[in-house]
Amino acid sequence: MFNNTAIIGVGQSAYVRRPQSGQSTHTFIRDAIVAALQDAEIDASEIQGMAVTSFSLAPDTAVDLAWRLGLSLRWLLQDTNGGSSSMNMLGHALRGVETGAASPILVVAGDATGLGGYAKIAANYNIATREHLAPLGHGGPNGVYSLVTTRQMNKYGLTKSDYGHMAIAQRAWAAKNPFAVYREPLIMEEYLAAPMVADPLTRYDCVPVVAGAQAIVIAHPDRCPKGRAPVRVRAIRNSFNYDNQEGDGLQTGIISFAEELWQAAGVHQSDIDVASIYDDYPAMVLAQLNDLGMIPDHDLAAFARRDIGEKRKPINTWGGMMSAGQPGGPAGGLNGISEAVLQLQHRAGERQVKGARRAVTTGYGMTLYRYGGTAAAAILERME
Amino acid sequence: MSEGVGIWRCKACGAAYFPERLLCSRCHGHDFATERVTEGVVEEITVIRHVLGQTDWQPHRLANVRTVNGLRITVGLRDESGPGTLIDLFQEGNAPFGAAKAAP
Repeated sequence: MFNNTAIIGVGQSAYVRRPQSGQSTHTFIRDAIVAALQDAEIDASEIQGMAVTSFSLAPDTAVDLAWRLGLSLRWLLQDTNGGSSSMNMLGHALRGVETGAASPILVVAGDATGLGGYAKIAANYNIATREHLAPLGHGGPNGVYSLVTTRQMNKYGLTKSDYGHMAIAQRAWAAKNPFAVYREPLIMEEYLAAPMVADPLTRYDCVPVVAGAQAIVIAHPDRCPKGRAPVRVRAIRNSFNYDNQEGDGLQTGIISFAEELWQAAGVHQSDIDVASIYDDYPAMVLAQLNDLGMIPDHDLAAFARRDIGEKRKPINTWGGMMSAGQPGGPAGGLNGISEAVLQLQHRAGERQVKGARRAVTTGYGMTLYRYGGTAAAAILERME
Repeated sequence: MSEGVGIWRCKACGAAYFPERLLCSRCHGHDFATERVTEGVVEEITVIRHVLGQTDWQPHRLANVRTVNGLRITVGLRDESGPGTLIDLFQEGNAPFGAAKAAP
């Protein structure tokens, strides 16, 4: 439990499918930071620490970003863990503030790769990908997770429409998020008729690449603007390379710490009001929820149909990356944290979940060979 | 093209790996012998039909294959072999491929 540390502000840049002239990773990151500082009512000169993650910051690094932002810091971190980078940075920043290393700390993530740049990143993700997958024409992560999705369908008896419930539900949430790139309603017929990308993944199963950035501000709860509840983290856990790629990918690293996470947080799955689950692919949302112990009887199909399709359980209430867009995996992870904060501060506008007090957020990513090698989860709580 | 796919086997405990590792995840030994695995059973298949940034992409098949020594390898599938099919494995550069076993 972090008693002297809280998330006090959030901000984001515009999300766009195609960066325009003059827009870059750096300008999106700047826009998100300006928005977060304004939201937290913190002056840039007060910032003592910064954590950043991006696939497209190079050749710059974190200190270059600090220089170009005019931030003189005593705590600096650059994370490289893809879809769980933001969760990883969150943990480091919480400990940084809690131990007095720095406060306030900015956590920022952003990317503006463009489609061509993204394709190059996907083909050169690591040595295993470059040497053993890209020469097959594997199509980046779509190819990898198409095979994982087929395994999940076979193991749990899922049908294509089961995944459709998630895409449709998240699109309905996205309609209430002015930052989402796809906001028009989606119906099952349209979902099922979408062009196949990598069997069985269709267009609506594959997260749309966008350009954009997110930022959050972490400080002592007393720094939270008046009239707004700070959000503390009751527990956070990470996993890296939990099974050496020797499993089937249907469990994530979350399975290695889930029980400990809930115990450390002192809450039960049923206490959660909002969930931000890293949604690069629908199959991985179900896998993470299952690892968290949030799917009764491990019946993924029933959960998809009943809890997501019918009850519209509040999962990925900003629309998720699948509708709001994925500005690189790293920033996508920070989007889920930001949304949880807005929900717990009762500032989520039309998509506000009434009386939300606790949220779970996750990160998942870094496809090593056959599936992701990093995972993380945190329990967030509104401080009254 | 070369017959079979090159894999790595820990000299200390015999564990097999693909892709190559620096240390054995079971015993943390650091000496590996190379060998070739020539057969595997197709488990799952996908068809890559569209790739970001590609305008004249031709669909092609990938498969997850379980080799006789229990490794799971992602291969390019050069024919219409389906799940459960025992296929021959071969390698082009560092990339593993597979196709149905030729008739005896």
